[in-house]
Amino acid sequence: MMVMAETIDDERLVEQFNRGDESAFDRIVEQYSSDVASLASRLLGWSGEVEDVTQDIFLAAFLGLKKFRCDCSLRTWLFTITVNKCRSYRYKRMLRKRRISQVADKAIDESAGSADKKSMDNETFDRIRRAIQALPAKYREAVVLRYLQELPAEQISLILGISKNALQVRLNRARARLRDDLGELTKEKL
Amino acid sequence: MTEDKIKNLLQEADRMAGLPGAVSANLSAIVRRRAHRRHLRISLTAPLAAAAVILIAAGIWNLAIRTTEKTKDQEKIVLLEKQFEQLQAKTDAAINLIQEVLVAEQKKDSLDELEAQLASIPDPLEEIQIQVDKTAFILVYQADRLYRELNRTDSAVETYNRVIELFPKNRWAQVARERLSEIDSRKFNKIDSKGELKWKPEIVSLSC
Repeated sequence: MMVMAETIDDERLVEQFNRGDESAFDRIVEQYSSDVASLASRLLGWSGEVEDVTQDIFLAAFLGLKKFRCDCSLRTWLFTITVNKCRSYRYKRMLRKRRISQVADKAIDESAGSADKKSMDNETFDRIRRAIQALPAKYREAVVLRYLQELPAEQISLILGISKNALQVRLNRARARLRDDLGELTKEKL
Repeated sequence: MTEDKIKNLLQEADRMAGLPGAVSANLSAIVRRRAHRRHLRISLTAPLAAAAVILIAAGIWNLAIRTTEKTKDQEKIVLLEKQFEQLQAKTDAAINLIQEVLVAEQKKDSLDELEAQLASIPDPLEEIQIQVDKTAFILVYQADRLYRELNRTDSAVETYNRVIELFPKNRWAQVARERLSEIDSRKFNKIDSKGELKWKPEIVSLSC
């Protein structure tokens, strides 16, 4: 019911925008910017580039909104743009900062073992986040959308352009990798 | 580890990372501004690119024309050079011909001069013949004088015989033979008609 209402609202906004009412775009930004920013933050590894990426995502949406045919919800469409933009950003960042990141990761790994409990928790969660970021893009995207954004499988399939079965395979493989990477942590935690 | 446990762990880590910074309040305005700038850039880029393409094309065309003109000039130069070479060859051939003609004329002049010089040289055989003739005449003349003026018939006969011996084919040898014949016939007549000399040889003229 809620999805239905959201879709109707999306269509109305898109129609207004196509008629030249740019205030419709303001409402779209207002409605979805936080979700888009959250997803971008998670896909980019909780880095500080979110604002720039979010601007680029909504710029792409502004330029492409007239071509939007309402085959899916506006949220799904925006998340698709987000996933694609984050891929581009990660690729560019990987090329730009590959060496620096390696040095930083090594330093962080070596700093493990603090006696402070809070500090230990922070390091643990950092390690978990790094494990997520270390996953291949197709697994990382599936994990973020499924476990962090908590989107339904159908929507994730639409966003990633894959079947549900393929999504399930990716999630299984991602979990296996995370188990390998975070085995000791899970024992401690559990 | 079950799926739920992993999910909980990941969500906890996500929560600990905190929410991303608040999105700018005027995000839509920023986006619209960027979109308009982009639109403006695109709308300007096309004419500018077209102008640039036109300029480049014009430059290439101009360059091509210049290159073509240069090629035409070069072709003209090559053609003129060929014509010049042909004229040079013709001139050389004419000069060679003139030189050959001049050399031939010089040779002909030299030959004519030599022939003239040769022609001016008297024929030695004729000279010898003249001298022989003259000698024979003198001998015949002396023999006639010996016989007619000095009455020395024996000496005259001897001289006639010498002329016949020395110049047997000369005309004066024939004259000498005639004289000897006359002397013989006169001796014969003298013996037959009381010993008087009826025939006297005439003095031979000196004209030759």
